Amino acid sequence: MPWTEKHRPKNFEEVKGQDEAIAKIKNFINNFSQTPKGGGGQGRWAGNLKKALILYGPPGTGKTTLAYVVAQDTNSEIFELNASDLRNKAKLNEVLRPATEQKSLIKQNKIILVDEVDGISKVDWGGITELISIINSTPYPIIITANDIWNKKLSSLRKKAELMQLKEINYKTVKDILITILRKENKFIENQILTNIAIKAKGDLRAAINDLQTISNLEYPSSVIFDERNKETDIFNSLKQIFKNKPTNETLKIFDSVNMPIDEIILWMEENIPYEYEGKELAKAFDALSKTDVFKGRIYKQQYWRFLVYENILLSYGIAASKKNPKTGFTSYKKPTRILKIWLNNQRTIKKKSIAQKYATYVHVGQKRAMNEFPILKQIIKSNPQIQKELKLTNEEIEYLQPI
Amino acid sequence: MVHGIWTEKYRPSVFSEVVGQDEIIKRVESLTNSLNIPHLLFAGPAGTGKSTLALIIVKELFKENWKENYLELNASDERGISVVREKVKNFARTKSLGNVPFKVIFLDEADALTPEAQQALRRTMENYSSTCRFILSCNYSSKVIDPIQSRCALFRFKLLEKKDIEKVIQKISEKETLTISPETIEIIYEGSEGDCRKCINILQSTASISPSITPDLVSTMIANTKPKDIKIVLDYAISGDFQRAREKLLDIMLKESISGQEVIKAIQKEIWNIPVEPEIKVKLTEKTGEAEFRIVEGSDPFIQLQALLASFVLAGLGKE
Repeated sequence: MPWTEKHRPKNFEEVKGQDEAIAKIKNFINNFSQTPKGGGGQGRWAGNLKKALILYGPPGTGKTTLAYVVAQDTNSEIFELNASDLRNKAKLNEVLRPATEQKSLIKQNKIILVDEVDGISKVDWGGITELISIINSTPYPIIITANDIWNKKLSSLRKKAELMQLKEINYKTVKDILITILRKENKFIENQILTNIAIKAKGDLRAAINDLQTISNLEYPSSVIFDERNKETDIFNSLKQIFKNKPTNETLKIFDSVNMPIDEIILWMEENIPYEYEGKELAKAFDALSKTDVFKGRIYKQQYWRFLVYENILLSYGIAASKKNPKTGFTSYKKPTRILKIWLNNQRTIKKKSIAQKYATYVHVGQKRAMNEFPILKQIIKSNPQIQKELKLTNEEIEYLQPI
Repeated sequence: MVHGIWTEKYRPSVFSEVVGQDEIIKRVESLTNSLNIPHLLFAGPAGTGKSTLALIIVKELFKENWKENYLELNASDERGISVVREKVKNFARTKSLGNVPFKVIFLDEADALTPEAQQALRRTMENYSSTCRFILSCNYSSKVIDPIQSRCALFRFKLLEKKDIEKVIQKISEKETLTISPETIEIIYEGSEGDCRKCINILQSTASISPSITPDLVSTMIANTKPKDIKIVLDYAISGDFQRAREKLLDIMLKESISGQEVIKAIQKEIWNIPVEPEIKVKLTEKTGEAEFRIVEGSDPFIQLQALLASFVLAGLGKE
């Protein structure tokens, strides 16, 4: 039996390093049981009580475990639906809906667990919409787990649910848990190796326990070196790490695990710096960002890719080091919108460009200059049909010049 | 054919009509008359007659066949040297018409080419030297690599003097029956920064509203050519509201399609109007210069401008 199953916590006392989440989930279920039942429809859930709770966070932080522990704690039956099940509209209707309509036969209460909701794929057509409709009608609390809830397809679900983020588990806590397990298993592994496992797990307890089990079965455990799991960090997480934490050598690697081209990351940083920093820190952070951009330009110009190193360091460590002290509190980061705005505007100025192009050729100047001088050219061209003819402007272009 | 656009209508078509560049004209004219010109490099500010002179040369050389023997390219428009090379090759492949043994390629704003592209251009100039002459124009000859400079005869164009510009405006005003006072002409000259093309454009755009050119009308027209509301952007920044400053900035740049360089020019001038210590003004100017340099070198203008705005926020804090 895998140790990850064997040693999965059975009660809240055994769950380590997630106190905030425990409080939240207890609170969520308690509110539920205290709300008067009976009657029908949505009216029962007056107030702002939400009927679903999304536990989200990186793998191996205890999301599913917490759901099972709270079920144990409240004497509830768990009805689980996870990524291995097909979760399209029809299937949810066929399987999940009845479960939300029947009382538990064996236990006092019931909790619905929709595990790994971000795994709902294209095949699961209409799944999210159906899930939301079930949330609206169910009398039972629904717990949903996910790694990344910022995906667009989950935005409507986010509004329907309370959110609780589970943080990566501190390596010391991970190590303590490993020691507890070893004791129970009556095995011994060198302290240094335990520390290594705990650090390399990067907050993923499940990974750490798996590594521990593998190592404990080996004859010479000290000779084993693990490959680090390549964990994908979402952009929100890396923004948070850079903006909130003190820079460390780990900061340099943050973007390695973000699945996004660096040009796009630059836009995310650009958008969000002012939400986090002000005054001197703002100036320093933008200074680092502007230098990032300079190196980016040098790469393009000279096709010398080693400059990427500098681009990366300035963008991560450089911006992280712009603050004096670590920051606390929640910041809601925003998606960059500049490129969209530029695109929309370009659509609007296509005619302006084509007019400037025709003018530029005609009077022997560069197109850029014609664009820069456009306000004055517009005045000259718009009131003179002869010029419009000379430049061979189309009707649409002439129309563009007229005041609306 | 009579042009409606005055910069074309009144563009000098013979050497004697060109104002302000007497020395250059003399030398270029004698070269042209010998029917054999070297590669030429015209360096100087905008609106001082570089393109005009190139056009006169080809018209004098080829007379009525000038269009067949002349190719005009603008380096700041053509994306990359490969396009330039393609066009040059296609053009140079066929022999020139008439009794001049070469064709002429005018490469405007040659300093917009990267040093690498210029190296490639240098080879092209050599390969086609038997069939083509190049006339290059640039604002700063220092941005043209030495090997190209050494292959060309260099002519430095001066900024036009006030009297030259006055002459041009007088002449056009008479022909177009406009009424204009010397005082108004002076305002046009000041607004044009010695750029003759710009003067004529200001004159024509004002005339399109009324044939009586008044100082007020001209001033309004000139104000319209400059990025507006940059002061508002800086006011937001100085008062510490970075978010609104950058929103407004993007708005201005997009709505009026103003380039980063235009914005930075306006910022640089506006520094003298903001309430900070002289020492800080100097620092901000330096920052502005650095940002302009980076934008010219190809950085993302909006990122550089935001970094600059952040320095203004800081300057605003220092004030208190």
